[in-house]
Amino acid sequence: MMFSASVYSSSNKTSTSLSDQDAATSTVSPVITSKIHHDQFTPSITLSSISSHVQEHDHLYPSPQKIKKKRNLPGNPDPDAEVIALSPKTLMATNRFVCEICNKGFQRDQNLQLHRRGHNLPWKLKQRNNKDEVKKRAYVCPEPTCVHHHPSRALGDLTGIKKHFCRKHGEKKWKCDKCSKIYAVQSDWKAHSKTCGTREYRCDCGTLFSRKDSFITHRAFCDALAEETARLSAAAAASISIPNTHHPSIINNVTNTPFNIQLSSQNSTTSLFHFNHNHPNPTWIPTQDPNPARIKPETINHPHRPTHHLLPAISLPYYQDPDPTRIISRAPATFHGLHVSTGVHQPPAHHLSATALLQKAATVGHVVDHVGSTMSGLDMGELGHVTSSVGYHQHVGLTSGSIATWHKTDRLTRDFLGLTGDQEVDHHGGVEANVNVRSMLTYTGGIEIPADGGFGTSGSDAWGNC
Amino acid sequence: MDALFRLVSHQKQHHSHSFNSTTTRTSNSSSSKSSHFIYNQDQDQDQEECFNFFMDEEDFSSSSSRHHHHNQYYSSPQPPFHHQSSSNTPTPTTSTTTTPPPISHYGFSSSDLQHSDPNINYSYSPSRDVTMEYSNSFSNNTWASDLLLDAARAVADKNSNRLQQLMWMLNELSSPYGDTDQKLSSYFLQALFSRMTESGTRSYQTLSSASEKMCSFESTRKLALKFQEVSPWTTFGHVASNGAIMDAFDGESKLHIIDVSNTFCTQWPTLLEAIATRTDETPHVALTTVIVTRTDAVSAVQKVMREIGNRMEKFARLMGVPFKFNVIHHTGDLSNLNFNQLTIENDEAVAVNFNGTLRTVNNRRRDYLFNTLRNFRPKIITIVEEEADLSIGTDGFEFVNGFQECLRWFRIYFEALDENFPKTSNERLMLERAAGRAVMDLVACSPEESVERRETAAKWSSRLSGCGFRAVAYSDEVCDDVRALLRRYREGWGMSTAETVAGIFLLWKETPVVWASAWKPV
Repeated sequence: MMFSASVYSSSNKTSTSLSDQDAATSTVSPVITSKIHHDQFTPSITLSSISSHVQEHDHLYPSPQKIKKKRNLPGNPDPDAEVIALSPKTLMATNRFVCEICNKGFQRDQNLQLHRRGHNLPWKLKQRNNKDEVKKRAYVCPEPTCVHHHPSRALGDLTGIKKHFCRKHGEKKWKCDKCSKIYAVQSDWKAHSKTCGTREYRCDCGTLFSRKDSFITHRAFCDALAEETARLSAAAAASISIPNTHHPSIINNVTNTPFNIQLSSQNSTTSLFHFNHNHPNPTWIPTQDPNPARIKPETINHPHRPTHHLLPAISLPYYQDPDPTRIISRAPATFHGLHVSTGVHQPPAHHLSATALLQKAATVGHVVDHVGSTMSGLDMGELGHVTSSVGYHQHVGLTSGSIATWHKTDRLTRDFLGLTGDQEVDHHGGVEANVNVRSMLTYTGGIEIPADGGFGTSGSDAWGNC
Repeated sequence: MDALFRLVSHQKQHHSHSFNSTTTRTSNSSSSKSSHFIYNQDQDQDQEECFNFFMDEEDFSSSSSRHHHHNQYYSSPQPPFHHQSSSNTPTPTTSTTTTPPPISHYGFSSSDLQHSDPNINYSYSPSRDVTMEYSNSFSNNTWASDLLLDAARAVADKNSNRLQQLMWMLNELSSPYGDTDQKLSSYFLQALFSRMTESGTRSYQTLSSASEKMCSFESTRKLALKFQEVSPWTTFGHVASNGAIMDAFDGESKLHIIDVSNTFCTQWPTLLEAIATRTDETPHVALTTVIVTRTDAVSAVQKVMREIGNRMEKFARLMGVPFKFNVIHHTGDLSNLNFNQLTIENDEAVAVNFNGTLRTVNNRRRDYLFNTLRNFRPKIITIVEEEADLSIGTDGFEFVNGFQECLRWFRIYFEALDENFPKTSNERLMLERAAGRAVMDLVACSPEESVERRETAAKWSSRLSGCGFRAVAYSDEVCDDVRALLRRYREGWGMSTAETVAGIFLLWKETPVVWASAWKPV
């Protein structure tokens, strides 16, 4: 079929051909038919071979070059199908099935058939014209601006196209009375109403909420949220010989909350503010690269984090820093150097696949809450359900937070899997980060920081080398 | 309350104007003037009759348990006036074991006062008449409002006899742990008393210090969240303001919110969540919270705000929203805040959010504040305020009218609290006490110092319009969100708009209680 060729050529704007003869079906009018324009595409395979190919393998693409779109996107119909374009009026018409005898309309075919029996038709006419039934049909959306307007993106199901048209281009007449969400398709509305309000939200602290807003507000102030960092800070303080409080200015400038809990400095908030004011805040990726900006800082963290478990003495202070993103992103070379110095061979974190990192992270015993959260994030959308075996997911409490993050994790995955450039941006962010990492590492006591290597050079050179 | 009355007796020696006589009210006080002494004796004599009199109470009171409750009060004989011997002598049915409490118990005996104001009729009325005067009030259950209002009138008229009479009755009937009427009586009586004794400021400070001692992050959080869970009183404004802010900030990539609220940042988690989920590119958010404090409360509040800041930052991280948090503790009037000193970056879109704090501004400084704001040119300002006109005057007619409005307003508030909180709720008690402090501020303190002088939406609107702002209507989605919010609470709450005034109102039993609106500089 000539249709098949045009389906996979997205640049081909011509409409597809329908069956060579009239395409009018018994049920609808008007129906638009058109022919393909051969001159606008140059298939490397002849049409006949395409069609035969397709006929053999129902849903295989004839050839890779021609395929511009993946098959599993909606609106990639069977190439054999007959494309039908219905007008909005027809689409929305409730009585599609019309009796040819008395012109009475019915919503369903079965009802029409039942009705036709009543006409006492001679047996031959009673039979439906079966020729039309065999053909598969695909429907295009009448809305010209819609992506499904093009036959190559026609939808295979009449009900489907009707719902699509209502949803995207229709007026939203159905409203949920619990949450005021509005829907154009009644079945959507019904489906929503069933679940609306029944969903429950559970906070880490164990409290159950039926209302999302009260859950969110509770979560924001819940002790379970604060507990993690407090516990880690306490643990870190115990393990490190030189407490971090000795360098409040540095730490304050670099980190956020965990230290605020420990430090009684009144300046914490204001200095934080100032710091953030003066520097592109390392907490989030600078806006030059919008993609990473959308990624939760922690999610960028954890690809690298698993490496920490090899450096146990260092791990805790790192966990204290809620935004080692910055450190990591600015200094992958650092870790590299660290690895070298400890004699453990570890490929730079960013070369590891997501799964590998997940597995590595799973071996880390003690994880900061947001690392755990990123684990769930990396879990690719298991809302609130962290599959990694370590128990830290209980700290995550991202039942709703993960909503925010998980849909961003696909970008994350792509980014950190394919990253290089993104990180460059952060490298020259500021000396503070440098110093901080350095000082933090120095304080672990367990690691000998080489004079050269990752930290050898002060300033941005070290970062710049990666 | 007894202690208060005892206090009165001492203070009365110093205040010559409030009370006609200085009475050291110990019944056996021999230091009292001779004239009083006579009355004392009379008093003692008549107490039995008063006893009898009070027994009569049962006769005409309704059988509701409440009145029985009242009877208990009456059974302790304390006639304000006893002037003529009572003619009815039913035998006392209940044995009131409390011996006729010494007059000192209440700090005053009206007996000596009765001669002070011959022009006023009821000065001479026997004690039972006073109670009988209000018999209708009792049967109609309007005793609290009636007594309190009459007390206010007595204050305005400077009729101390009457005032004391009423205050005595109120004292008998009031309790901060009773029903709404009793609670109102308790707090208003306390305020009236302080007003009488010109100790309003001091009383207010005492009450405030007492509450600040108990103030901590945990208690504040518990209070705020519980209140929001059972009542949309504050969440109404939050949802409306957040909606307006989201609409105004549409497309902006750097947002700065200046928050001047009394809700301890409970408004912002839902906004952060909305920002995180509804925007394609998550903007950077900076939040500067301004806390207006009296000088002595600073450290306690500072600690609380620090912890709140911690949580907010952490939560924003959880949400994946780039976030900065800053707190400014401003002492003194809000209108003195220098907005230009706040660190705002050039590319940030600014919203200023006022929730329950405009009322703290001195009346005469409100226009100045709005002018300052207009010059500051934020993208939008969102205002949430309680709908009442509590511009209580200092004297006379203005005082009585203002008092009446205060009574009306706090009655609604207490009723709303009572019906939505569980019966025994510590949080509700805290809120009631805070309301009690507000009543003290309004009734007993000078308007200059007052931080509770609410204005109506109409008044605020005319101020804003006059200072160069125009109202921004809430979008349909925001209104839908608000309506959906109200559906999540118990019955009784509603939402409405007014034709003449911009913004929306939260209704409690059809009465507008909270007003929310959004404005932008013209």
